[in-house]
Amino acid sequence: MAIVSVWIEEGCITCDACEEILPEVFHVTDDTCFIKSEVRIDGGYDRNEAQAGLKPETIASFEDDILDAADGCPVDVIIVVEGGEAAAAEPEEASAPAAEAESAAPTAAAEPVEVAGDNIDELLSAGDRDLAILFGSQSGNSEGLAAKFAKQAADYGLNGAVHDMDGFDFASLSSMKRVLIICSTWGEGEMPDNAEELWQTATKAAAGSLSGVHFSVCALGDTSYEFFCESGKDWDEQFEKLGATRLVDRVDCDVDYDGPAAAWALDALAAVAAVDGAGVYHEEMVEAVKAHAAGDAGGADGEDGFSVPDITAAAVQAEISIFRYDPEAASTGSDTWVCAMPGHMSLLEALRIIKSTHDGSLSFRDGAADDPTTAICVNGRLVLPGTIRLDALAPTRDGVLSLRVDPLPGFEVIRDLVVDHWSMERRRESTNPWMVAATREGAATMQGAMGTMDPNVATALHSITDFSSAALLQASSDAVPHANGYLGPSVIASAWARRNDPRSSQDSVASIDAVLGSSNGIKAETDLASIRRQNGSGVVISEALLDAKTHVLEQDGFNGRHGKHVWWYAWTLKSSGKVNDTVLYRQVLGPIGLLGNLTSGVTARMVAGFTRTGGDMFYDMLAMVAPPAGFGKMPRQFNSSVENHHEVVAIFNELDGRF
Amino acid sequence: MATKFAYHPGNVAHSSAPEVGDTMGPLARALGIELVPLAGATSCGAGIVRQANRRLQLTLNARTFAMAEAQGLDILTPCAATAGNLHEDLQTLNSDQILMQEVNETLERTCGLTMTGEVKVHHLLHAIVDEIGLDKLEDKVRNPIDFVVAGYYGPNIQQEGACGGDDVYDPDYLEQVISALGGTPVRWEARTQSVGVPGLFSEEPTVLKQAAEALSEAKSEGAELIVSACNLSHAVLDVYQGKAGRNTGLATNIPVIHLCEMLAFALGTHNSRLALLRTRIAVIGD
Repeated sequence: MAIVSVWIEEGCITCDACEEILPEVFHVTDDTCFIKSEVRIDGGYDRNEAQAGLKPETIASFEDDILDAADGCPVDVIIVVEGGEAAAAEPEEASAPAAEAESAAPTAAAEPVEVAGDNIDELLSAGDRDLAILFGSQSGNSEGLAAKFAKQAADYGLNGAVHDMDGFDFASLSSMKRVLIICSTWGEGEMPDNAEELWQTATKAAAGSLSGVHFSVCALGDTSYEFFCESGKDWDEQFEKLGATRLVDRVDCDVDYDGPAAAWALDALAAVAAVDGAGVYHEEMVEAVKAHAAGDAGGADGEDGFSVPDITAAAVQAEISIFRYDPEAASTGSDTWVCAMPGHMSLLEALRIIKSTHDGSLSFRDGAADDPTTAICVNGRLVLPGTIRLDALAPTRDGVLSLRVDPLPGFEVIRDLVVDHWSMERRRESTNPWMVAATREGAATMQGAMGTMDPNVATALHSITDFSSAALLQASSDAVPHANGYLGPSVIASAWARRNDPRSSQDSVASIDAVLGSSNGIKAETDLASIRRQNGSGVVISEALLDAKTHVLEQDGFNGRHGKHVWWYAWTLKSSGKVNDTVLYRQVLGPIGLLGNLTSGVTARMVAGFTRTGGDMFYDMLAMVAPPAGFGKMPRQFNSSVENHHEVVAIFNELDGRF
Repeated sequence: MATKFAYHPGNVAHSSAPEVGDTMGPLARALGIELVPLAGATSCGAGIVRQANRRLQLTLNARTFAMAEAQGLDILTPCAATAGNLHEDLQTLNSDQILMQEVNETLERTCGLTMTGEVKVHHLLHAIVDEIGLDKLEDKVRNPIDFVVAGYYGPNIQQEGACGGDDVYDPDYLEQVISALGGTPVRWEARTQSVGVPGLFSEEPTVLKQAAEALSEAKSEGAELIVSACNLSHAVLDVYQGKAGRNTGLATNIPVIHLCEMLAFALGTHNSRLALLRTRIAVIGD
C-alpha cells in the first residue's frame, strides 16, 4: 500500500538518524523530531500526531527513504501510515498504533483529520482544539484581556491557554494551528518588557516557519503617542512575513480598549475556532460558529419538559446612546456608552450597570422586570426594559448593537428617562373610570348571589385591557404627543371595555359614549397603524379601538368631518373603485375649509406641483374643461372606473346598503 | 429573467400623483421587473373604509387578492399604506378560515371569484432588496443620487410580517437602497412614525404637527431630501409642508419625492426631472 502520512510517537531520543537519512522530511529539535511543513498538506510543523497527509510529490520522491528512516529509527517512534491504515515499520510492533489510527482511516487517505465543513459539532470537537493566547503587557491590561478571552474560548470549542511572552519558546509556535496575540506598546513604539526577548527571536526566525499558524492581533495603545499600537503592528507584520495566515484584521485599541477588544474577540475567536483539527480553515463556518457560541444551537431547548433551556448568549458589542435631560441646568442631549455586554442581559440590568459603574446621575424608573411604569423607548420600539434581552432589542449591524434609548414619547420628562405619568392619569380620571353597575340577577351560590358573564364576552373584555403597561400603550399612538387633550389609546381602550361590559348601567354606558364621541375621544386618533405595530397586544387593542371608532361614527350618523371623510371615501370607492380626492375635499372640508386651503397655500402647492415633480403643467384634459383639476398635483374631478366595476357595486350592495 | 408581479398602483397614483405612474414603468424595465396591471383592483381602503364597515374593506381587498391569484402572481405596490392595508387584510383572512369562507361566498356570488390566501403582498422597497438585490440595483445606477437623503417608511409597512426581511422597529432597507443609489442616508427617529394621513381632513391641526415634526427632524439631521416609501404620506409631507411649517413655527421646507421617483432618476430616466431636483436642493429649497 502507498504511504499517505508519517508521524512521530512520544519517546524520540533525538539521535538525528532520521534527519541524516531524509532531511527534507524530518527535523530533529532539542527534544523530539518534527515533520517539516513543506512536505505536509496542512502546512503544519510538529510531530504530526494528527496524521496530516504528505504532499503527493513528497511521497513520489521519498517513499523509500521514509520507510528507510522508519526502519532505521532505534526506538521505533516513526510511524508510517499506508493506504489508510497505520503501520509501523516493524509489522510485529504495529498493533497499538494501527488500532489508534483505525478510526481516522477513512479521512486519513486524503487529509487525515480534516472535518467536513458543514458539521459544526464535529468542527468544534474533533482533533486538536488548542488555542494559544500570547500577551505582551507592561501594565497588565493585555494580560487581563488574554485571561478573559481564554475563558470565552471554551464557548467556541477551544482549549484556550494564556502564555506570557516572557520565556515563551518561539519554536513551539510552529506546531500551533491557532494563535492570538494581545500586545501593548510601551514608550515610543517599544515592545513591553516581557515581549522584547520573544520579539528579538521572532525577527530572526526563518521565513515560512509559521506557515501552519492561523493568527490575529489585538494591539493596545494610546493615540496621544506618535507610534500608536506600534508593537501590535510589528507582531502582525512579522507573523505574516513568517508565513502565518491572518484570519481577522488587527484591531488597534485606544485607552478605552474594552469595547473594541471585545468586538475583535467575537470575530477572532470564531475565526480560529473555524480552523479544524487538521489545520484547515473553514471560512464558510465562521457565522455558524458565532451562532453556536451565542447559544443559538447549544443547550437543551426545554421542549421535553425536563431539561432547562440554555438562554445564555455571548457578549455583544453594544453602543448605547441614552437621552439625558437635566431640569436644573435645563440641558438636553445624549450620552453614549460603548461596551461589551452579555446578549442575554436585560436592558434594565444594562441600565443598572451603567448607573452603578459609570454615571450615578443616570435616572430611569427601576422596579421589577414587568413593572409597567418602567416603560421606555428603544430605537422607536416601546418596551418594558426588564422583559427584553439586549440581543433581541434590535438587529446587530457591522458587529455592533446600536441602541438609542429615549423616554416614552407623549409624556413630560422629569429627568433623563423618567417621565411623568400624571397627564395620562388625569385623562383617565376625566372619563369617570369607576364601574357603575346595573342591578342584575345573579346565580345563587353558597356564598350568596354572584354575577355571571358569558365566557366569550369575558374573554373579549379581558383581551382589550390586557396590555402590559398603560403608559406604554398610551405612548404607542403617534397622535398623543401632538393632539392636545386627546385621551389616548390606553384610556380609550379601558373606557371601551367598560362600555361593553354587560354589568355597566345604561347611564354609565351613555356617559362613556359621550366621552368616546367627544373631540378628545377616539376620533382624535389619526392613525391606528402606529398602535397596531407596537408590541404583542397592539393588534388586539387597535382592532378594539377600530370598533370604538365605528361605533362612534355610526352614533353620529357619519356627520362631522371625520364621519364625512369615512362616508365619502366609501362612496367614491363604490362609484368608481378608486378614491376621488376632489369629492373628499369638497364634501369634508366644505367651502370654508377649501377657502382655508386656498389662503394657507395648500391649493397653491397642489397647482404648482409640476414645479416639484418636473412633470407637465397640465397632465390631463380636465385642465381645459374643469380647472384647476389636471394642473400639477391637483386631484382629478372624475375617475375612470376600474375593470368590472359592477362587481364592486355588487359587493357594496350586498354588504352595506348605506352607500 | 424578469421578476413578474401583479401591479397595484396605490390610492393616489391615478389622481394627484401622476409622477408615480411616470416613474414606475421605466424603473421596472431597468430592473427587469415585469408589472402586470391589476386593472380591476380597487383602492385598498386606506384604513378608512374599514372604519365604516370592516367586512366591506376585507371583501373588496379579497377581490383584489383573488384577481392576483388568478394570474398566479404576487402583488407589488409602491405605496406603503396600500402594502400595509392589503397585508393586514390578507393576514386577517388567512388567520380565520371561517371568515375566509364567508368572504369567498360573497365574492363568488357577486364576482364569481374566490381566493385561497396564497398570494403575497410586496412593497417595492422589499421587492428590490429581497427579490432583485442591491448588487443588481447598484450595477444599474447611471445617475448617482449624491444627496443626503432621509428615508421615510411610515408605520404601515413596519408591521410584523409586512416588511420583508427588514426589522420592524429599526429598519434599514431604505437606507441600504439610498446608499446603493449613491446617496448618503440619515437615520432619524420619525422615519417609521405616522404623519396622520387618515386623519388629515378631520384632525388637521394634529396632522400638521405630526408632519412638521417629521419634516423638521429630517432637516435637523442634515437631510437635503426626503424620499417617501408611502405615496399617501408623501401627499401630506409635500403638499401640506408649507402650512405645517406656518402652523408650528418649525422649519419644514425640504423636497419630498417618492421612492419610485428616486429609483427612476438614479437608473437614468427622467434626467431633466433629476436636474430640476438638483436645482431645488441647491438653490430653491422646497
